[in-house]
Amino acid sequence: MSKELNIWLDNLLEDIESVQFQRKSSRRVRVDVASEALPALLELLQGHASYVHLSAISCVDWIDDNEFELVYHVWSYETRSLVSAHTRIPRDPGVYLSIYDLYQPAAFFERDIHEMFGVYFEGSPDMEKFILTEWEGPPPMRKEFDSEAFVNETFTWEQYHPQWLKDIEEEGGGITTRPEDVR
Amino acid sequence: MSTIDNIPVRHEPPTAEAGSKRSNPLAHVFDELVKFCRSRSLFMLHYCTGCGAIELPPAMTSRFDMERLGIQPMVSPRQADILLITGYVSIKTLKRVILTYEQMPAPKYVIGICSCTVNGGMYWQSYATAKVLKEYMPVDMYIAGCMPRPEAVISGLRELIVDIKSGRADAWKRYYQNYDYYLGNQQKLFGDNWQTPTDVIAEARHYGLLTEQTLGEHTALLEKHQRPLQALEMRLTKKEKQEL
Repeated sequence: MSKELNIWLDNLLEDIESVQFQRKSSRRVRVDVASEALPALLELLQGHASYVHLSAISCVDWIDDNEFELVYHVWSYETRSLVSAHTRIPRDPGVYLSIYDLYQPAAFFERDIHEMFGVYFEGSPDMEKFILTEWEGPPPMRKEFDSEAFVNETFTWEQYHPQWLKDIEEEGGGITTRPEDVR
Repeated sequence: MSTIDNIPVRHEPPTAEAGSKRSNPLAHVFDELVKFCRSRSLFMLHYCTGCGAIELPPAMTSRFDMERLGIQPMVSPRQADILLITGYVSIKTLKRVILTYEQMPAPKYVIGICSCTVNGGMYWQSYATAKVLKEYMPVDMYIAGCMPRPEAVISGLRELIVDIKSGRADAWKRYYQNYDYYLGNQQKLFGDNWQTPTDVIAEARHYGLLTEQTLGEHTALLEKHQRPLQALEMRLTKKEKQEL
């Protein structure tokens, strides 16, 4: 049963024109889909292909393309496989549709993404602050937010170079790779 | 207060006569007894902040057994002596840590475990974590490492015991003596209307530790908006009365 469902799904997804389909392994599928078609795809996966578990929604900030990439990971207990549906939305205004009516756990992920990236999900039940309740700056995971500059501005730096480290360095040891070398 | 050299880390055990030249052999007996008892009965607040907390269960339980040194976990800050900051402190957590610290009765000891409490450690670039713990509260001892093993934790606690016995572990006094400095750093991070329920200045007066550095521009700012503490009103609601 489960294998048949996979084959059936593969064939179907390959036939749809606006969907780019890649099977990564027997248990992973990557689907690239236009943003207006994503809710329909998820409805198909949930309603007809047993993908009832929304594992996560992740967000990637492609600042050079001026786009956000949203990745919806849905899992099927029957076929034991994960579909990652990728879609891209414009960074400005950064508004997208909520899938709360399909998957209720989405409220949690959408609220988190709203807080970290500033993407607004229309129809999501709660877009209030979540973890960063005492944070007043911009959404910190956006690429234009320079965390290092913020830290240098806000905090003082404390040098840690104790005697035992100096002793090791005299013998030729010590820190091999400094942070500024790898940046 | 800006270099790491000021951190009180000691390796050699102090000699018996360190700093106590006494004429009457019985003059300090009671003080010594109190210090000895204090150092051998330490209650460690069960409050963990970062990843270093994972080293405490083995340190406390049968494998390394902290209790043989007289150190036990305690659930309430009102009854605890040691505050262990185990790892990075986010700014949100730091507020709670300061509330907790101020609730503890003196003498109290703060130990910063892990590199993160020294200068932010591997999270130094993070917008969310506070970096240098000793800017916000006086720290008796740092146990560096990422993370320090239970042996290191225990050896640090043994050094703290020695420090308490010899009277060197008096960082809690610095909080009262330099309250303006600590409050200024706290206000810089939390905003000008930062206020804790504890009246630190009154406590400093009570302990006789009010110095010139206790009061300053930051405490003046605090007094401007400080609301006086009031006892919580405790009474049965109508519904509960009916049930009774």
